[in-house]
Amino acid sequence: MGLVGTLTRKQRRLTRPIGHYTLGTWVLLALTILVPLLYGIYISLLDINLASFLAPQFVGLKNYTTALQASETWSTLRITIALMFLGMIVQIPCGIILAVALHQQLRGTKIFRSILITPMLLTPVAVGLTFRFMFDTDLGVINWFIGKLGIESVNWLGSQTSGLVAIVIVDSWQSIPFVMLLILAALSAIPTSLFEAATVDGASNRQVFRLITAPLITPTLLVIVMIKIMDFLKLFDTIFMLTRGGPGNATTTLGLWTYKTGFVFLELSRAAALGVIILIITMPVYFLWRKSTRNVR
Amino acid sequence: MKRISLGKVTSYGILIISSFASLFPLFWTFSTSIKNRTDTYVLPPKFFNFHPTLKNYISLFKIKTFPHIYLNSIFITLMSTLISLILGSLSAYAFARRSKFRGRTLLDALMIAVRALPAIVVLLPIYKLSSYLGMYDSVWTLILLYAGFNIPFAIWLLTSFFNQIPIEIEEAARVDGASNTRMFVQVILPLAAPGLVATGIFISLLSWNEFLIPVIMAGENAKTLPVFVASFISNKNLDWGPMAAAATVAMVPIVALTVFIQRWLVTGLSSGAVKD
Repeated sequence: MGLVGTLTRKQRRLTRPIGHYTLGTWVLLALTILVPLLYGIYISLLDINLASFLAPQFVGLKNYTTALQASETWSTLRITIALMFLGMIVQIPCGIILAVALHQQLRGTKIFRSILITPMLLTPVAVGLTFRFMFDTDLGVINWFIGKLGIESVNWLGSQTSGLVAIVIVDSWQSIPFVMLLILAALSAIPTSLFEAATVDGASNRQVFRLITAPLITPTLLVIVMIKIMDFLKLFDTIFMLTRGGPGNATTTLGLWTYKTGFVFLELSRAAALGVIILIITMPVYFLWRKSTRNVR
Repeated sequence: MKRISLGKVTSYGILIISSFASLFPLFWTFSTSIKNRTDTYVLPPKFFNFHPTLKNYISLFKIKTFPHIYLNSIFITLMSTLISLILGSLSAYAFARRSKFRGRTLLDALMIAVRALPAIVVLLPIYKLSSYLGMYDSVWTLILLYAGFNIPFAIWLLTSFFNQIPIEIEEAARVDGASNTRMFVQVILPLAAPGLVATGIFISLLSWNEFLIPVIMAGENAKTLPVFVASFISNKNLDWGPMAAAATVAMVPIVALTVFIQRWLVTGLSSGAVKD
């Protein structure tokens, strides 16, 4: 009787309300995210131009119809999607290969891992600057190197295709480690007994990978795809440093186009409408991501 | 103990080549930063056969605004990290110790939204609001914004650290009659100290590297290092030496820090992606 009594009292204490502990976070997120988001939707319904002194007028959905009719919106969206695919095609296989190589637990694995994750920690702007002079057409070390291999010099940042390739190279240099870490975590979570049993049963390496490893890292791969989609929608620093979206708008993503509309052409309301459009594009990914992280748990 | 294997030689080959690829740009930036102009602009590139010079660093530190900018970056990083840690640890405690509390699902959803949201979407209205309120180009505006964007990472990370603290310790303190506050301050925080440090360093990295927020929200007064580094490319005649020196100066603290926190970084970097 007494024991039950203490238990319930203890439980009552342990479940003391604690929701107010999150109050500070709520205030911070309201100030920095929620209020601006609502205000952004409001702005998108006006016609604010930062260079104009006229009082803003309410124009309804005009900015949205303008945005959806403008060819730049679609071309920059296409470029964003192209970068996304190109990036994933490079980064996911490379991440898997590196994770598998690290997972062998060879001598020196720790040192290799430390070296390999360094790029993802570095300031993207500084990295962009570095690659900017490495990509130089005449005196860049990259053209010098591929010249040694007998390939002609490339004007990396001067055309759409090579510019996008350059952006993917730099972004991959910084993001592959992240993919690698997530896959490595998934690999480490697979019980070694599974591999042992498979080996005892005479499974080949290829069979082990196809029948054990691949299915068990698939949930993680899905999470990585979600994160990559979100990150490519956000990608800004690297492009800003390498090409500024040029030549012309040839390497401008939707995010960079929103930035240019707002801060170069000073069309704040139009940019806000583009922002809301990006938000709508992000939504499905957001819900899928919430779902997939729950499954991984 | 057989695992999926690529073969030792292949694995080593892959690891060595990719390590080289990871380090080369760093080496190249650093070596460019200590070269004379004549050694910089030549083909074939000079890898080791040049006379090192500190000229580029001296010209960098001679730029009048540079110390101010560097101090800005340090101050903003420290303060925003502090705010993220204080508010984040309170929320993380709630997440780690209560399966249910008012607003939990909503806050969880909001945190993921912040992670998914391209910052430009909220920065446009923030820019407009801040010029209304006279908060444009202020370090405190930047501090608040950095904290807002980084706090979800702090909460995810700290929640996983708090989860590792055995509930029995807390139960014992409960029986002794500790209140929520005393429990948090005197029991949980000291036990989670390594986690707080790791989270702090991780959040500092994010703040230190942030570019989009300050490029929109900072003028001359609140300018940070990444904005300064980026300004090098707006010059028509790119001067690689000082450029490389600026990039090096921005990256050195990171490389120094990461050497210390290797162990924690791996957890930190994959947090939020995989819930535990």
